[in-house]
Amino acid sequence: MKRGRDRKKEPKPKDLHHSVPDSGGMDELLEALGYKVKSTDMADVAHKLEQLEMVMGEDGGVLQLSDTVHYNPSDLSSWYQSMLSELNNTTASDLSDSTHFANNSSSTMMIDFSNNTQIDPYDLRAIAGGAIYGVADDSGLENGVKRMKGSGSESVVDVQPPESPRPVVLVDSQEAGIRLVHTLMACAEAVQQNDMKLADALVKHIGILVASQTGAMAKVATYFAGALAQRIYKVYPKDGRETSCWEILQMHFYETAPYLKFAHFTANQAILEAFAGAKRVHVIDFSLNQGMQWPALMQALALREGGPPAFRLTGIGPPQPDNTDALQQVGWKLAQLADTIGVEFEFRGFVANSLADIDAEILSVDTREPGEVVAVNSIFELHRLLGRPGGVEKVLESIKGMKPKIVTVVEQEANHNGVVFLDRFNEALHYYSTMFDSLESSELSQPNSQDLVMSEVYLGRQICNVVACEGTDRVERHETLTQWRNRLNSAGFAPVHLGSNAFKQASMLLALFAGGDGYRVEENDGCLMLGWHTRPLIATSAWQPES
Amino acid sequence: MVQIINDTICHENNDNDGYETFCINDNLDILIEVFKRLDGRSLGAAACVCRKWCSITRNDSLWEHLCFRNVSPPPVGVRPVVSALGGYRRLYMVCVRPVVSRLKRRRIGGDSEVVRRVWNRHEVELSLSLFCVEYYERLLVGGGGGGGGGGGRVAGDSPAAAASSLKFLCMPVNV
Repeated sequence: MKRGRDRKKEPKPKDLHHSVPDSGGMDELLEALGYKVKSTDMADVAHKLEQLEMVMGEDGGVLQLSDTVHYNPSDLSSWYQSMLSELNNTTASDLSDSTHFANNSSSTMMIDFSNNTQIDPYDLRAIAGGAIYGVADDSGLENGVKRMKGSGSESVVDVQPPESPRPVVLVDSQEAGIRLVHTLMACAEAVQQNDMKLADALVKHIGILVASQTGAMAKVATYFAGALAQRIYKVYPKDGRETSCWEILQMHFYETAPYLKFAHFTANQAILEAFAGAKRVHVIDFSLNQGMQWPALMQALALREGGPPAFRLTGIGPPQPDNTDALQQVGWKLAQLADTIGVEFEFRGFVANSLADIDAEILSVDTREPGEVVAVNSIFELHRLLGRPGGVEKVLESIKGMKPKIVTVVEQEANHNGVVFLDRFNEALHYYSTMFDSLESSELSQPNSQDLVMSEVYLGRQICNVVACEGTDRVERHETLTQWRNRLNSAGFAPVHLGSNAFKQASMLLALFAGGDGYRVEENDGCLMLGWHTRPLIATSAWQPES
Repeated sequence: MVQIINDTICHENNDNDGYETFCINDNLDILIEVFKRLDGRSLGAAACVCRKWCSITRNDSLWEHLCFRNVSPPPVGVRPVVSALGGYRRLYMVCVRPVVSRLKRRRIGGDSEVVRRVWNRHEVELSLSLFCVEYYERLLVGGGGGGGGGGGRVAGDSPAAAASSLKFLCMPVNV
């Protein structure tokens, strides 16, 4: 017979706690129904009732009770107790007897095992026991303690897990999820302290725990566990962008989640406002990829008052592994679009391993026509420079050399660049859990879609880089908006506030997405942040060089 | 609406034997005026009535009217761009209809289910931008075999190349 171990976190008949106590110590309401229950015992009666309900809710539970004789049904407390003990006795007996008789009659019966201490992560046996037996987690225990204290009975029952493994494993997914997170953190801590043997054991254990989970939690845990394993075994993956499927992955991410669309639309709005009135414009894009940002801008320019300006685009991209000129192909497609909508268009592509190799001279910005307005756009690119000392400062200087009217920067809103590995790990765990949660909402409307899987692989690559790589290999060095603000301010840039148009457009865009209720646009001192529920995930900001 | 027109035609034919009957199909200008006042769904239904009506409803200016008749002020200079990107009919099917219906259901300021028929400049701009992005994606894909599942509710006259970046517009909303 199965035992339900998933206990609800708060007792269901909560109102029993507040019932009138003074009628000879018996609860009035229940007495009216014919049951005699001491008010002081209400809490554990409720507890037993819950346990019974769980147990009897499953098949065969009721049938098992046919043997017990109940002598005093009005005494609810002992009636439930006898039922519970009968149910307990029908299973392996080594378990509950000790607890059953260990306390006085009004004590709470704990069906499931409880360790009264925080699970010691270094005690592998305890963890292994928990996974197999589904040990109640500590918060459940605390509830039990609270209830017992409320009813006036004494100590927590301390049950040792039995030696023999149970044949049936029923693990509450919520409790197992918490356990999973704890194990991940414990593993990271082990890695931090260079205790690789322990870390290795924990990583394997995570694999077992993940099997009991579904949904976003399982996926996140899988990626993080994989990244930890890579760190432990020192198999450092190369930078994801060198593989040719990276752009495909990003396209799928573009389609599934609004993050990239939000980034593009808000940056475009800022650029559009900066380009007002200009006859020739030049955009330098540090992150061309497939050029998905520019059709919308070109269309807005085509439809603006006074007609479209001459539009020049300089795209920068990494070298391709198969030596194809991806940048030129993108430029060609953009040129086709520009021709269709009637915008004069010119494209230049630059291949560079790192932005630090580019400067204004190479881009030959100086050979611009007089009156050309320049904008610099960087979406999720600047953080890659933080691995090399002086890299980002050099790039910011060269941006100033391009004399832009506006610089749009979109970055992840998280600190994944801390010095201490454990801090980075915990930050990343929270950040990517939130992201996967938000992706999950689109899963609900289109289950098993390939897009979703690809988006998750895309994020998984980032996770791998944050966790497993070090030094110059670790390029996903995200920093928060505050940190970027400081950096840009000290490099000589002044913020440009994104207007309400951008905010409105972003809000509308998000409303179009399924699961759009979860996404939030926030304005933060002139910058826009997109988040999932209360957690901001990406931030758009605009800057101009201080004159 | 369509039913009424058909009934009128039959009625006229029955009652006036020998007299000149009024056939709506002979007066296309009136027909077009009628069509201009239809909503998208009815216009689509009208296209299924007969070949003549089908060819009339393919006139893009009808769809332009449908897209923008509630927008004030009416946007200028949009026509060449939209025509180049695939026409107003496609714009309506791919962007305007999902955007308007999706945003219509949004709770506005705490009121529930406020149905708005007038849509504002921002929504127009957003629809146009998304339309342009969709066109570009078709370019990227190469104009050949289009995205697989993207076409659900997005009909248009070229079902093959339903751009996948607008798939999110087809997804049911958790309202």
